[in-house]
Amino acid sequence: MSTDARAVAEPLLGFADSLPAAAADTAAPASMLHLLTFTLDREEFGIPVTQVREVIRVDGITRVPQVPAHVRGVTNLRGRILAVVEIRTRLGLTPAVVTPSSRIVVVELVGRALGLLVDRVSQVTKVPVDSVAPPPEEVVTAETDFLTGVARWNSRLIMLLDLDKVLLLNA
Amino acid sequence: MTAGENPFGDLLQDYIVECLPLAEQVGDAFVELERSWQSGEPGDDLLTTVKGRLHTIKGNSAMMGIAPARDIAHALEDACGFLGRSPDACTADAAALLIAGGGLLVELVGGASPELDPASATAFVERVRAYLTAAPGAATAGSDRRQTERRGPRSDEGEAAGNTVRIDFRRLDAMLEVLGEGLIQHSSLVELYRRLLRKVGAGVELEELDQTVLSLQKTLTRLESTLMEARLLPVSTVLGRFPRLVRDVAHAEGKKVRLEVSGGETALDKAVLDRLGEPLLHLVSNAVAHGLEHPEERTRAGKPAEGHIRLRAASVSGRVIIRVSDDGRGLDEEAIRAKAESLGLDVRNVDIAQLHNLVFVSGLSTAERVTTLSGRGLGLDVAANVIHALGGTIEVESRKGQGTAFTLSLPVTLAIVRSLIVEVDRERYAVPLSHVAETVRAEPEAIRQINNQGVTQWRGDLIHVADAGAVLGTPESSRGLRPFYVVMTAGAKRRGLLVDRLIGHQDIVVKGLDPALGRPTVVSGTTILGDGRVACILDVVRILDGVAHVN
Amino acid sequence: MPESFLVIDDSKLLHQMYRLIFSQGDLAGSTVHYAANGREGYAVLAAHPELTLVLLDLNMPEMNGLEVLARRQAEHLHPHVPVALVTTEGSEEDEARGRAVGAWDYLRKPFQPSDIQALVRRARELRRSRGAA
Repeated sequence: MSTDARAVAEPLLGFADSLPAAAADTAAPASMLHLLTFTLDREEFGIPVTQVREVIRVDGITRVPQVPAHVRGVTNLRGRILAVVEIRTRLGLTPAVVTPSSRIVVVELVGRALGLLVDRVSQVTKVPVDSVAPPPEEVVTAETDFLTGVARWNSRLIMLLDLDKVLLLNA
Repeated sequence: MTAGENPFGDLLQDYIVECLPLAEQVGDAFVELERSWQSGEPGDDLLTTVKGRLHTIKGNSAMMGIAPARDIAHALEDACGFLGRSPDACTADAAALLIAGGGLLVELVGGASPELDPASATAFVERVRAYLTAAPGAATAGSDRRQTERRGPRSDEGEAAGNTVRIDFRRLDAMLEVLGEGLIQHSSLVELYRRLLRKVGAGVELEELDQTVLSLQKTLTRLESTLMEARLLPVSTVLGRFPRLVRDVAHAEGKKVRLEVSGGETALDKAVLDRLGEPLLHLVSNAVAHGLEHPEERTRAGKPAEGHIRLRAASVSGRVIIRVSDDGRGLDEEAIRAKAESLGLDVRNVDIAQLHNLVFVSGLSTAERVTTLSGRGLGLDVAANVIHALGGTIEVESRKGQGTAFTLSLPVTLAIVRSLIVEVDRERYAVPLSHVAETVRAEPEAIRQINNQGVTQWRGDLIHVADAGAVLGTPESSRGLRPFYVVMTAGAKRRGLLVDRLIGHQDIVVKGLDPALGRPTVVSGTTILGDGRVACILDVVRILDGVAHVN
Repeated sequence: MPESFLVIDDSKLLHQMYRLIFSQGDLAGSTVHYAANGREGYAVLAAHPELTLVLLDLNMPEMNGLEVLARRQAEHLHPHVPVALVTTEGSEEDEARGRAVGAWDYLRKPFQPSDIQALVRRARELRRSRGAA
């Protein structure tokens, strides 16, 4: 809920404390990273859960003419107009084909909300910090610019995205 | 007005001299009554006075053989009598009906418009009759004389009748449209200034011109704010009928309910208020019918037998927050989860707050039983759509066993533009009607190609016709001749735009363009249509300038 | 014998209408007093016991027709002068109430000159039958 609304909202009758926030509940021990992971093609990517506002189904993305590359369009998020970024093309992949498992990951950066269109969202994954290594130098793809690291955990390879770089659309 | 065969035909002027001021007084009194009712006062004295005047007008009109005036006066007299006996029926709708009748009466008495035929009088009389039979309290007179809540501060200082004028809401809209044109002209001025600057270089006069143009913009913006403010009405206008509704629903559902309303003086644009009523009504009746438990269940749960519903409105930094909360059983999370899964949604990773907000998704109403009262009209998804279309947001919070709260956030003022909605390659776009001259069915033979541009005859002129897909850069390759074209105008320019479908006219709320979208030139904004989908608003001026073209 | 009448009505238009009616036919030449409200009308009635007929409007501000009649009844003012209550509608109840306070007859709007003429004729009848001078 927006901070404005919260400022006005009095506690619900009978409620002693405020309601749960959108992010994960238990505090993570310092050695664990909480990631929201999603798949593009068959590769798994992760972003810190703290940057994620929510995950929504794709309920129509309206195309907007003349937008910068990688902006797929806009969608209605409970009355707000949310710009949806085509992460796939940003990372050098082909544009997404929307399927029932497609999701829009709503992230918040510097107070602004943006949606990331992804193929599939997995559960929130906790990985030990020491499972994260810098992106391997020998594997140089268009993607590596956007990575802060790679996590190997439980036979999964999760590429950690640097959202600031990914979403720096208009220099 | 045919008083021809009437023995008193020669006294028509006397009739007008006597009855026209009376009719005007009646009209003024109705406006005054509207304001009284808004502040929670029944205005009994005023009603009695008005009733007397209407009686006189009725009798005199009857004597003169002027049936329409007689009938309207009679209908209004009956309505006033009824309203005097039933304070619960003294609503904004009732006031609007009276004011409409008052206006009609003035016209009929004054003979102001000869084209006003008796049929409009009959139509109005029917409206009053329908209202009187359907109004709350129609069957029962003498219900509680006082509402349980005060609807805002008493306005007995400064705002005396002499300080206000009555103005048709549409006139305000017309003024805003003219202002809009002024703003467009201002943009042209800026453009001209720049061209001049390039041509002749800087100088004192140009400097002055720049300052003046800037001042003009500030003035226009201030004027816009003032006009927008004039459209504001207190939320209590809509909240007025809620106590009655809650009583009715509670009675029908066998529940005990206490309704608390506060913040009625919070102001909202009339256009928002007009459409906010239904979704709010739905939320409140929903709370009574589904949110609150029956008294026995409540006592068993250790709650007071009387359920508590709270309606709060407040103004917070340019938005109005309205909160409808109850201390009932809360949303049934299991039911939502089950229903969501049955619709194919993956709700395993969804947290509580997101789960609750799923109730706004189409098809997810978990209340199987649809009662006549609370089930009437809207589902939560439709209510949400209405609120989104108003440029607002709605969210829900809930605690099982403790209660539910819906929070609406609405913009105080709206930029509303009446638009034509068209479809191009399965996407919808809004074209402001002020820039639409006509929509025409496209005949292939009528459109010729000259210098690779389509042209056609329209009302004696030769105009260019462009394919909307080309202008908007749609990726579809289906660019056969589209069946319709919209003749867009801006200033003296005209151009046809070929589209697939004409969906209809709609009042849309203009939302700005997210900075992430860059600076498109063919669209000037976005809006949420009634079905919840986003549509782009075409920037007609720039499209016609020829500046805006995707390809 | 010149007849005289009293019209108590707050509408100037009605005054004009009555003026027109009382200038026609055998009513021409009669004296017509006009009062614009109940109080004034009561005073005129008190001063003119010779009135053939009083035409009293029901719906007037401050003191309406019923109140005028009630006061007349209470004070026994010229009970022989017939007073017709003029109203725009009238149910049985209204008529009963009027008669209870001494209304001699009812006249409903809209009325025609002929209605007044008929009323006057009956009032004259009443007078003759009472043998008033």
